[in-house]
Amino acid sequence: MSKETATERQSGGLSLRAGGLFTSASLIVLGGIVMIGSLEQGTGWDDAGPQAGYFPFYIGLLLALSSLGTALNILRNWRKGAADLTTRAQLGRVLAVLIPICVFVALMPAAGMYVSSALFIAWFMWRMAEDGRRYSLKKILAVSIGVPIAAYFIFTVWFEVPLYAGPFAGWLTL
Amino acid sequence: MEQFDLLMHGMGVVLSWYHIMLMVVGVLLGILVGVLPGLGAPNGVTLLLPITFSMEPVSAIILLSCMYWGALFGGSVTSVIFNIPGEPSSVATTFDGYPLARQGRAGEALATAFTSALLGALVGVLLITFLSGYIAKFALSFSSPEFFAVYVLAFGSFIGLTKTPALKTVASMMIGFAIAAVGMDTVSGNLRLTFGFTELLRGISFEIAVIGLFGIGEILCTVEEGLVFKGEQTRLTPRIIWETWKKLPRYWATWLRSVAIGCWMGITPGGPTAASFLSYSVAKRTSKNGDNFGKGELEGVIAPETADHSAGTSALLPMLTLGIPGSATAAVMLGGFMIWGLQPGPTLFLEQKDFVWGLIASMYLGNVVSLIIVLATIPLFAAILRIPFSIIAPIIVIICSIGAYAVNQSLFDVALMLVFGLYGYLFKKLGYPIAPLILAAVLGDKAEDAFRQSMLFSGGSLGIFWSNGLAGTLTTAGLAMACLPLIGRLFKRRTPAAV
Repeated sequence: MSKETATERQSGGLSLRAGGLFTSASLIVLGGIVMIGSLEQGTGWDDAGPQAGYFPFYIGLLLALSSLGTALNILRNWRKGAADLTTRAQLGRVLAVLIPICVFVALMPAAGMYVSSALFIAWFMWRMAEDGRRYSLKKILAVSIGVPIAAYFIFTVWFEVPLYAGPFAGWLTL
Repeated sequence: MEQFDLLMHGMGVVLSWYHIMLMVVGVLLGILVGVLPGLGAPNGVTLLLPITFSMEPVSAIILLSCMYWGALFGGSVTSVIFNIPGEPSSVATTFDGYPLARQGRAGEALATAFTSALLGALVGVLLITFLSGYIAKFALSFSSPEFFAVYVLAFGSFIGLTKTPALKTVASMMIGFAIAAVGMDTVSGNLRLTFGFTELLRGISFEIAVIGLFGIGEILCTVEEGLVFKGEQTRLTPRIIWETWKKLPRYWATWLRSVAIGCWMGITPGGPTAASFLSYSVAKRTSKNGDNFGKGELEGVIAPETADHSAGTSALLPMLTLGIPGSATAAVMLGGFMIWGLQPGPTLFLEQKDFVWGLIASMYLGNVVSLIIVLATIPLFAAILRIPFSIIAPIIVIICSIGAYAVNQSLFDVALMLVFGLYGYLFKKLGYPIAPLILAAVLGDKAEDAFRQSMLFSGGSLGIFWSNGLAGTLTTAGLAMACLPLIGRLFKRRTPAAV
């Protein structure tokens, strides 16, 4: 966690209080969803003891309440929460990794895991090389095609854990 | 004595070339996951679970536990050489380990770390060897109310005894319980919390949570600083090892203290990470060279490493005897047991003697094998870390995705893993603890069953949890610990001077 003092905050980053409130708010919503879902199952008692919704209801309630408490704490210490959770630079780096991962996962149903992985590695090698290095096209192709092939042999063949191949499933019936 | 015979019997089960090969493979994989960010011990063990489905339970647990030891050792390697803890439990090792490396004494630091680790782990295993039989026998008399009381104690102590803010711990735990509740209810057969999503019919597997929170979340945290591994030069020759071993005996008191802290925090829900930090601060305060801590003091490496490993091993004691894991990785292993059809707890010691004592015997061998392998392969792993991050990072993410997919052959799980990953990042930055979430996710169903069974016995009265001395004590202790933070707050207000 960032050790900046409360008053200094670079613009563009994510403050502790904003990040904290977002998380607490989403957890309150989650708690609410769990409570509503439990109500359908009945939250009382019948002859067989607590109904199916009894436990989850209180779980949802505790989740919502504890997150509400955390949110209130953040609001109470509003000034202290001005410090950065992530600075703009850090946030940039995180998003630069997070967004490609999201695209990678989103591509899977359409393209299968092998092709998505190849594209994912290729993207990283092409765009995210450190220290201003540039990988040659040959190298990028070698690694981004090599790794899914290795994964096929290690996981699907050796460990017998089939990976989702999507529209290319026909190719793999070797 | 009985335990010794059982242990020898276990050794007999374990000693085969196949098992030794599994140990070596497990340790190597463990060091690998310990060294790479995003692939820690809980995640690594989770990723191996699908592979173990076709194995004998004994072989499977040998593989997994050796991976655990390897990961614990591996985390220390990067702490010392790169100032990057490979495992949360190796953070404290960086405090003095890295300064030592910068002074050109990396070999000494590593040899110290590994040796302390081995000794700490062996004490943990000894504890398991001699105490597990008694605890298991004692737990045989447990019925649902007692089990639920133990769960109350376990979760209560997480809330009360760990340093993280209680509200966040409770929230984290509740998320875990909610995850466990999704899917088919064991008692009534109703589908809960599925909201019409067919993918949620089989519930949310704890493995997805582990891989997302620990794996993707960790990668996101690591990436923040634009990671480039710049390591210090390391020379680890037998001569350096020998010289270091000559120096170590003088720190016997530190070692003893650290072992005690580690075993205590392993058995109670503290875990290896908390153990390493606590041990470091205690050592710093009690040592003659306390001021030198942080500048490259060997004692500053011995303390956290010993505690971390003895906690890691003793976390398996409550897991095996009571079915209560003392750390996130132990929770994952518990999940593994359930998948293999084994019921951890007292019945395990009665009905699966081969398995249990085979496991315990393998812990001795596994730790020794780990030490040998890790000393020999440091240059190899240091070299692996020189692979550019732009290649390693996507590979780690791909491995995590494969792991998430493999659990239920479901792409939905991969998407879920990503959501967990995002929250894992937020949680780490905001100080929400993740271990209680995993514990709750793994134990949630059992805790609920124990509660409902007890209610059936008592016809709806909560008094059953205080119906006998044992259950009553455990329940009260658990509730008391859960309320500790609250009581602490009240005291602070009354005595403003004592802050």
